[in-house]
Amino acid sequence: MPEDLAEVYRNTYPALVRFLYRKVWDAERAEDLAQEAFTRALVHRPENTRGWLFVVAANMARDEARRAAREKRHLTLLKSEPEAVHSAPEDEIDADTQRTRVRAALEQLTPRDREALLLWDAGMSYDEIAAQTGLARGAIGTTLARARRRLVEAYDAGQEGGQDVARG
Amino acid sequence: MSHVDEGTLHAYLDGELPSGDRAALEAHVAQCATCRAALTDERALRDRASAVLGRARPRERPAPPFEQIRRTPARHRWHVRMPFAWAASIALALGIGYLLRSPNQSVVASDQQGPTAEPTVVATNRTTGAPRQEQKAAAPVQARGTRRTTPAPADEIDRVRESRAPASDVVASAEARNSASSPTPAARRVSDSVGLVQLNDSLLRERLKTAHLETVVVTGAAVPAAAKSERGATTGWGGISRDVARSLLGQQPVGLPGLPIRAIRRGLGNGAVVVEQALDSSSVIQIIQRPAGSELRDSLSSGFGARAYRERADHLLARFIGRLRVEITGPISVDSLNRLLEQVQPLP
Repeated sequence: MPEDLAEVYRNTYPALVRFLYRKVWDAERAEDLAQEAFTRALVHRPENTRGWLFVVAANMARDEARRAAREKRHLTLLKSEPEAVHSAPEDEIDADTQRTRVRAALEQLTPRDREALLLWDAGMSYDEIAAQTGLARGAIGTTLARARRRLVEAYDAGQEGGQDVARG
Repeated sequence: MSHVDEGTLHAYLDGELPSGDRAALEAHVAQCATCRAALTDERALRDRASAVLGRARPRERPAPPFEQIRRTPARHRWHVRMPFAWAASIALALGIGYLLRSPNQSVVASDQQGPTAEPTVVATNRTTGAPRQEQKAAAPVQARGTRRTTPAPADEIDRVRESRAPASDVVASAEARNSASSPTPAARRVSDSVGLVQLNDSLLRERLKTAHLETVVVTGAAVPAAAKSERGATTGWGGISRDVARSLLGQQPVGLPGLPIRAIRRGLGNGAVVVEQALDSSSVIQIIQRPAGSELRDSLSSGFGARAYRERADHLLARFIGRLRVEITGPISVDSLNRLLEQVQPLP
């Protein structure tokens, strides 16, 4: 069994980090949570490890988001303004802006559409997404089609309108 | 066959259409221009969405070896949080001490920085070996678990003080007053060699079950002590107003004119008041004052903590000002404390 998990780890870890990153928007935190998920998998030895990992990761990210919301006030107090103004290289600022825009666009999606899209992007199959989200398998294609369309529209709108869509 | 809906097109593009449906779709698209166009559009949309998502990727970093994950189930987190666990232990001690404080027996929390002027104030231990041994040699009585009751010769004080100077850790010692007249072996062992590292949660809790936490003395060694003085000065413990202090003492509290007052607190024993004043941003001295002849000694005539306090008081520099017995302590040399004590007078 540990060998299986090692295999899953090799194949899934980057996708899990990516999935988590688009939920917590902090690369290190995403890595921490991904490792934590695997650590829990070692203890629980679930049947369907990959699916289980993503369920656990989604839950952890949700808890994280709640906690972050609680601490938001403190963070805004602690976060110093100059950070963004710092003379970061052009392309870094670019990457930052784009990330912010993608994040804002993702936030325009309904939670279910967003979840389906992120799971698909993390390499999950329709069956796995259906199991995870509770959607009928036959509805996944439609859900993804809608999610993709809204994402692209919101992203483009953000690019044109700038701050209109990217609401902080 | 009617036109293909977008969901089916996406499932097809995602390779998730069952093979039968797949063949049917391909056959239809081959002869339906509308669906062909739609398929092209949806493919573009799908690629576009992937590209957009791809702009929000974390930096790709290699996964840590699986073995590392296996070896660190949850323990890692505790390891990181150990310092907080210690902080929590101390906070617990302070908190319980505060809660157990009765109106007539208030808690003194004194916070000192730097090498203390009175080396035998509290049972402290350094984790470094050599200074500890020197201290032990200088005070063989302490090694037996009883506390030294006579002042150390001046050169010995100096030696001990010097030996403490390089240490930069903070040592906290919780003095518990047992209901029994002598400390339990465990308590003695702890009081004798208590260091922050050794005073763990469970031990502390065990002691608190049977003991009344009376004084908590946090002693810092010679380090840049801005943070520590901050803690000493800003804790709200027993903070009282000037008026309350006046009514407790029966006269104006005394202090050093010209130095900013960081806090006025209720001290140990009836009517005792502690005035804390800042020498500079990192040193706070405490001026402990009580009406002369007040029942401090009586109220603390027995018990482990009482003895500790008494010894402590013995080594404080003291003088009488008007009807007040005034003691001074702080993170500076005995000479300096003496000089400061001479300047103490009723605060304007």
